[in-house]
Amino acid sequence: MKKLRIYNFNFAILVVTLICPENVLSELRIKGLSATRATLYDPSHDFTCLDGSEKIPFSYINDDYCDCKDGSDEPGTSACPNGMFFCRNIGYRSHYIPSSRVNDGICDCCDGSDEWATGTNCTNNCYELGASAREEAKEKHDIQQRGYQLKLQYSEQGKQSRKEKQEKFEILQRERSEIEAVKLEREALKEAAEIPEKEALEKHRAMEEEIRSQRQASEKQKRDEEALAAFEQLDSNQDGVLTSDEIMAKPIFDQNGDGLVSEEEAKFFLSGQTEMTREEFLNTGFVLMKPYLTHEEEVASPPPSSTVTPPAEGGELPEIPEGETDEEEEDFDHGEADHDDRTEDSEVLPVEETLPYDPETQKIVDEAKAARDAYNEADRRLREIERDLKNIEDSMKNDYGPEEEFSPLHGHCFEFTDREYTYKFCPFDYASQRPKHGGSETRLGQWGHWAGPENNKYSIMMLEKGVQCWNGPQRSCKVHFTCGVDNVIMSASEPNRCEYEMNFVTPTACAPPTGSPDDLLAHDEL
Amino acid sequence: MRLNRNCLFFILSFCYVKGVDKGNFKSCEQSSFCKRHRATRETPSAYIADLKSLSLHKERAFIDVINVEANIPLTLEIIALHNYAFRIKIQEKNGLRKRYQVENALVREPETAPIILLEKKDDHIVLGLDAVNRMVIQGNPFRLDLFNKDGHVITMNGRGMFKFEHYRTRKTLPEEIPMEHNPETDSQIEPLDAEEVQQTSEEPPAEVPVNNDAEETEPGMWEEDYKSHHDSKPYGPSSFGVDLSFPGSNHVYGIPEHADSLALRDTLNGDPYRLYNLDVFEYELWSPMALYGAIPFVMAKGKEGAVGVYWQNAAETWVDVRDVPGGGVVSSLMKLVSGGASEPGPHKEVHFISESGLMDVFFLLGPGPKDVLQQYTGLTGVTPLPQMFAIAYHQCRWNYNDQEDVQFVHENFDKEDMPLDVIWLDIEHTDNKKYFTWDPIKFSDSLGMMKNLSDKGRKLVTIVDPHIKRDSNYFIHKDCEANGFYIKDTNGKDFEGWCWPGSSSYPDFFNPAVREYWKEQYAFDKYHGTTKDVYIWNDMNEPSVFNGPEVTMHKDKLHHGGWEHRDVHNIYGMLVVDSTFQGLMARGENKLRPFILSRSFFAGSQRYGAIWTGDNGAEWGHLQVSIPMVLSLSIAGMAFTGGDVGGFFKNPETDLLIRWYQAGAYQPFFRAHAHEQTRRREPYLYDETTKDIIRQAIRQRYALLPYWYTLFYENEKTGIPPMRPLWLEYPKDSDTFALDDVYLLGDSLLVRPVTESKATSVKVYFPSDESAMTIWYDVETYETFTGRGYKSIEVDMYKIPVFQRGGSIIPKKLRPRRSSVLMQHDPYTLVVALDEEGKASGTLYIDDGESFDYREGKYVYGHLDYQRGKLSFRFLDAGRYSDASWVERIIVAGLRLKPHKIFAQIQGTKDHVELDFKYEAKMHILTIRKPKLPMNYEWHLQFY
Repeated sequence: MKKLRIYNFNFAILVVTLICPENVLSELRIKGLSATRATLYDPSHDFTCLDGSEKIPFSYINDDYCDCKDGSDEPGTSACPNGMFFCRNIGYRSHYIPSSRVNDGICDCCDGSDEWATGTNCTNNCYELGASAREEAKEKHDIQQRGYQLKLQYSEQGKQSRKEKQEKFEILQRERSEIEAVKLEREALKEAAEIPEKEALEKHRAMEEEIRSQRQASEKQKRDEEALAAFEQLDSNQDGVLTSDEIMAKPIFDQNGDGLVSEEEAKFFLSGQTEMTREEFLNTGFVLMKPYLTHEEEVASPPPSSTVTPPAEGGELPEIPEGETDEEEEDFDHGEADHDDRTEDSEVLPVEETLPYDPETQKIVDEAKAARDAYNEADRRLREIERDLKNIEDSMKNDYGPEEEFSPLHGHCFEFTDREYTYKFCPFDYASQRPKHGGSETRLGQWGHWAGPENNKYSIMMLEKGVQCWNGPQRSCKVHFTCGVDNVIMSASEPNRCEYEMNFVTPTACAPPTGSPDDLLAHDEL
Repeated sequence: MRLNRNCLFFILSFCYVKGVDKGNFKSCEQSSFCKRHRATRETPSAYIADLKSLSLHKERAFIDVINVEANIPLTLEIIALHNYAFRIKIQEKNGLRKRYQVENALVREPETAPIILLEKKDDHIVLGLDAVNRMVIQGNPFRLDLFNKDGHVITMNGRGMFKFEHYRTRKTLPEEIPMEHNPETDSQIEPLDAEEVQQTSEEPPAEVPVNNDAEETEPGMWEEDYKSHHDSKPYGPSSFGVDLSFPGSNHVYGIPEHADSLALRDTLNGDPYRLYNLDVFEYELWSPMALYGAIPFVMAKGKEGAVGVYWQNAAETWVDVRDVPGGGVVSSLMKLVSGGASEPGPHKEVHFISESGLMDVFFLLGPGPKDVLQQYTGLTGVTPLPQMFAIAYHQCRWNYNDQEDVQFVHENFDKEDMPLDVIWLDIEHTDNKKYFTWDPIKFSDSLGMMKNLSDKGRKLVTIVDPHIKRDSNYFIHKDCEANGFYIKDTNGKDFEGWCWPGSSSYPDFFNPAVREYWKEQYAFDKYHGTTKDVYIWNDMNEPSVFNGPEVTMHKDKLHHGGWEHRDVHNIYGMLVVDSTFQGLMARGENKLRPFILSRSFFAGSQRYGAIWTGDNGAEWGHLQVSIPMVLSLSIAGMAFTGGDVGGFFKNPETDLLIRWYQAGAYQPFFRAHAHEQTRRREPYLYDETTKDIIRQAIRQRYALLPYWYTLFYENEKTGIPPMRPLWLEYPKDSDTFALDDVYLLGDSLLVRPVTESKATSVKVYFPSDESAMTIWYDVETYETFTGRGYKSIEVDMYKIPVFQRGGSIIPKKLRPRRSSVLMQHDPYTLVVALDEEGKASGTLYIDDGESFDYREGKYVYGHLDYQRGKLSFRFLDAGRYSDASWVERIIVAGLRLKPHKIFAQIQGTKDHVELDFKYEAKMHILTIRKPKLPMNYEWHLQFY
């Protein structure tokens, strides 16, 4: 149907040609001229170069010699370096080509009219091109139309979102001033409650300290007594010196379980010596031997108070505090050292045992805690509001386009994978690249600004300040927006080192479609 | 004043010298043989020529030369050559080891001439080519003096720095060397010594001293370390050196490649100029350091004449240059034998030092600089006429990523209507740096890509480097390994080095079978995906070995025939290109002219194509040095050279890029190239003004292609390069002898590109003939400059200061096209620039632009001449070519009177056709409109 219309149009031209043949034919005779320009070439007069620089006989037009500086005397030849040749291309787009393409042996116009002197065998494929161009144009028009509809929806969403943000912003602002007042109030209460708490706690701690030191003294005494008793028991001959013989006589010291206490085993308990005085036993020997003694006691006598051993370690095998450890144990070195520390600490000061507050103190502390919690709650809430405000403010600062059409893209990410990398583009946020076969993600840039040309600012989004290249600049990424129905990255590349480019197809770049698809084909001369 | 300017220039240049890590390359001090020879400055060695031993043949003579300290007899062979040249060879008379005689540098065995014994006295002998061009051999001390029509022009060993380290067996370890030697012990090692000693000791009063211990024990003679590299030196010392002075010459030129001024500088306070092919990263400017290629040829320029010395040696060579103050150096003997030649005034002296090989020296007696060039290129060959596309514009980058990228680049040139002939693909186009292959994904359809290029008349150049990836699945590696084609380690195993592909081996191009193999690889059925429009780039052929000493091959690695790499190093790169050349000839059945670009080169490399000045940088200094570098190459036979436009490393500022395009458009090889890590810089990427300026610069190149092409044709005929120092055409104008910023294209265009940042004017030196009346016409405005000396020329960003000599006729093609091939049938514009007598002449060469048909006479070589109102075009020889091109415009500049009428007559017709013309009285410019003169006929115009 549409094709038919074009043919009709051609026919109309033909009719005009027949009606006033002289005028039109003379125009057609001048090679490389468009019909509109042809009126400037009047064969009945000398020709004045279009820039006015020279007046020449009309016979000089298209005589394959350049007379005019602007090339206007040679529209149909290659004589002028700056001339333009008009390809009529009936059935397709007519357009100009530089004179340098005329008669160079290459068919540039689809109607072959540029090779009028070289005998180059050009086939006229304008109608084929025209048909497929119209097809393409139709498709493009269709896409543009659908895309534009989507863009309008985006716009709606964007505006709605801005409105909501604005409202939310105002609400939050109000909330903020309220909560600020609350916070101030609670802060005063908190401080008031903390003064008596501080005093009460100081008092309580002093008391606790005293009790603790008393307990320590008695613990030490108890331990010394225990040690002395053990010494007496071990020192079989009661000479005040513990010898390896005496140790070897006690099966409890059989560490490797071979039924014998060897000299080495004995030596181990005697800190590498062959004998040990009572004094030495109190300082070092007892610590080494105690676990074995305890073991014996378990067998021999009722279990002692278990306050000494932390409950967590109750079931474990006795530790060898020092000396050789096998490799397996070394793997756990760190953890075991911790255990050791705690074991030793527990000998001196039971941590978990604290003095309970007296009821009065407890009350003061509880009150202060409540005041603090109330304050912290207010503070947290204020910070939350402030963060929300900042987010809204930042997001409202973003240039989402004149109609807010880009706004819905914010918060979404798009990916594209080529041979080596997966590229990611999150509009108004960042772009990145990660190797397809493992490896970490590299930031190519973060949202910077719109960087299209003046008349089409929103055609390019610039993401900048990405990760610095080795021995080079910071990475950056330019994303070209073109019209499409879906949001898709079509390609990603690195044309310059550390400067990336992506082509992003999106409804947001669809201009309002004008007229019919045929209008996309310029047939100004038909 | 000029001196000051130059001084300042040097100081400024040094300011932005940076980049090269000097510590990676040897100084003379670190090279034991260089150090030993330099020491002869203080302690000259004693050699005598035994004149009685003269044995004279028809075209050659032999004389014994004896080192009186070591009693080692050497043979001096003197060969008389056709075209005013002597050749001498010196080697041990009974050497323990054969010395490497350079092969492949000479185009053929030089034509010899009869030698004439002019005089034979007790203390000297005179041998002549004729009565004037002669050589005087002095006996004691040994010395040669050469004479031409200008008188005494060359002295060899005038300063006694001749030193020849004979091959010897290693006697003992240093600590076991006895304190003294005597002739008997020496003679055990050198059996013939005793006899020689007797012979010589009879005659000269000089007593035979004991052998010099120091010489035997100096470190570095039997092994040498540099950094972590060990040179095993199994054959011991073998170097030689000698001083050559040029009485009457205050300037010497040549021995490229160095990033330095054209006129060689005195080197006594620094290192000598070094000739050792190396892959230098970010090279230093105004430095004698070695670069990628080596041509051991110097030309010495006297007041009027010139002489040359070609030191044919492929081993590491150092050249000291010295300004000798007047008097005293050349002994009074000269007066005796030359019939009263006066004491030489201040002059230049050079000291050549080579590590091994034969001492093989050619003395070229000129007498003019063009004569010397013809003598030199007569020996080593000329650049065959390139295809037209090769002298057009080339676009390169490391790398164009894939076939789509290639398409994108040339489409964008078309969009901007910027001419472009060739796109280049660097190493990344291959399948993992395996040359002769394509990346299967990025270049999955290289033939499709080629078709798109060929459809626009364009070509592609791919890189093929000589390091072969050691990959057992790579066919080249498999073949080379299986056939023993690789250079060998000292233990006989294939040498493995590190280069772009990782572990690599290097084919031994000294093996004829390897050259044949390499040649075969270019066949279209072997190098898949290539077409006749694919040409070749041989890079990294010094060879570059990333983990080798000084980034190259170890000197003790072994080549075919048992030669050490030491003997042949500087010639390796040329042999790679030679094989490639044969390959490109063979693949196209010898029809199309090959095009090859090489980074490394040697004397003779000009026969295979173009070389470029390697990895320069985007700095004004690199742009400036490109002029003397290309000139230096040009006068050493390399006619087809240029530097990377824009600078390889770093990003050029826009104004630097513009100026570089303008300069590059007027250098023989015109290619833009850039490092992988630089920003894209294809000219279409810039703002409108910049694009326009660069477009104009490239178009100027294309407009002048007929002139360039004619110059390249004439270079093939004469050996005179297209790009010339001023003194080549004005040999008597001593003010031109040290210019680095201005040059001539042919004899008709004077070019002084703007190479300074933010310049608003440049000082241009205008040379002149003796009458000082030479007129130079600005090629754009036709403004004239007459006489000799500096003139200040205003420049804006568009301006390229280029001037046409009055008296010349230059053919141009002014119609821009997408590529040069598309210009083939376009009409000519002839620019006739009249001299002060109102005369002008020029030549024009035309053929099909691509094939060897011109060698069968299918060409037109015509002479254009204007005098007394008549412009004629006459064929210079029997060449005929039917070409559709014609003359569309003739511009005559400097025509004082407007003609009344102009008639044209074409040979073979009777018609006198009256022509349209226009005359601008103010500028004296006549423009003849559309004379429609065909170029395949002779014709003339008559002005009335």
